[in-house]
Amino acid sequence: MDYITYLSIAIPKLFAGLLISFKVTFVSLGIGLLIGVPAAFARVYGPKWMKNLVIAFIEVIRGTPALVQLFLVYYGLPQFGVTFSALTSAYIALGLNSGAYQTEYFRGAIQAISSGQMEAARSIGMTRMQAIRLVILPQAFRLVIPAWSNEVVSMIKISSILYLVAVPEMMTVARELYARYFNPFQTYITVGVVYLIIISIITYLLGSIEKKMKIPGMELDKRSMQ
Amino acid sequence: MDPKTNSIIKIEDLHKSYGQEEVLKGVSMEIAEREVVILVGPSGTGKSTLLRCINQLTTPDSGHVWVRDVELTDPKTNIDLARQHIGMVFQSFNLFNHLTALDNVMLGLIHVLKQDKEAAREKAMLELERVGLANKHMNYPGQLSGGQKQRVAIARSLAMEPVVMLFDEPTSALDPELIGEVLVVMKDLALEGMTMLCVTHEIGFARDVSTRIVFMEHGNIVEQGPPSKILNNPSLERTKQFLGKISDLH
Repeated sequence: MDYITYLSIAIPKLFAGLLISFKVTFVSLGIGLLIGVPAAFARVYGPKWMKNLVIAFIEVIRGTPALVQLFLVYYGLPQFGVTFSALTSAYIALGLNSGAYQTEYFRGAIQAISSGQMEAARSIGMTRMQAIRLVILPQAFRLVIPAWSNEVVSMIKISSILYLVAVPEMMTVARELYARYFNPFQTYITVGVVYLIIISIITYLLGSIEKKMKIPGMELDKRSMQ
Repeated sequence: MDPKTNSIIKIEDLHKSYGQEEVLKGVSMEIAEREVVILVGPSGTGKSTLLRCINQLTTPDSGHVWVRDVELTDPKTNIDLARQHIGMVFQSFNLFNHLTALDNVMLGLIHVLKQDKEAAREKAMLELERVGLANKHMNYPGQLSGGQKQRVAIARSLAMEPVVMLFDEPTSALDPELIGEVLVVMKDLALEGMTMLCVTHEIGFARDVSTRIVFMEHGNIVEQGPPSKILNNPSLERTKQFLGKISDLH
């Protein structure tokens, strides 16, 4: 079979796999965002015990491989009678994983905003929550976009470990293809190129969002402050 | 202790330490309505801390602060409510970077004073006009000069209709040629009868508009009085020395 013929068979299947990779990536990123934003604020503004709790969570997640986290949820929890499907396990493990990283990204963004912003907001009578919602968060979201782009890219790539719990994402499909056609090189080159193209597109899109969201004059401002 | 009715700010025996260093060593003072009080003194003597202890951006260790008969140091006081009417202008402007000049002024009107958008917009434009920046209302802070930023910051405070304005070295971060435009706005404000407490080294401004100059050193008020007395004939040698030094600079 020549490569073109092979592609005509492989591409539709790989895309079906890719859709599942996407689903896992974006659900995990969403869970991660829901964890990351409040955790980052707790880390910066919360009481000491809360800060420590968040730090402990981040250290544990970042200090262990995502695969170990996934296996703990998928294989480990059933030992205690808690059983999740492979896909749900993926959401939980990768969601927590992304949550830890996103906490750090958002913390960095929040801390990059000068404390004067919070003070000015409080000085006109805003509550702390109002100041966070109206002043800090809109700026933090803009600052976090570059780091967040990295997180999207790395989640897409990390989702490939789901192959090991038999979720039919792209790597799982690739494994089936190469078992049938016995052409590992062509298969994984194809998979690699598909990842490359998809990630390039996403990077580009996030880059244009970043540009579009840029606060007018901010760049100039930064330069004059240096 | 019952504060006088025309007193806007009353401070009693305020103490504040950072670690081992005691920055305020029991400061007491009272500011009456329409007074323009200038706080001067060497850096690190607690002027800014004193200012920030008034609206509780810095929490004093002990002592009391009243603004318009409401004790802000009382933990039962709703501090957010109290701060609505205490304007504060910062050395570093602290405009909200993601908002236009107009939105900077409108934000508090809408979310703190709960005005509707149209009323807030109208009021905000009025305040921007007052500081001479109505034509810059769509500019973001990054598109304004330092002097313009500070004037927008003043408009943002004024829009809340404060009973007193606190200025924390409002011109110290400005290039010399931009200081004048900010001082003009502050001067107008003083002439309109706004009660003001300013930390500043602008002696000319103090001479022209202040009703009282307070000289602080090492966390204490060491001398105070009308500008004519303090600037021309201070009782203490130390005050004379200090004012001589900063006058040379200006």
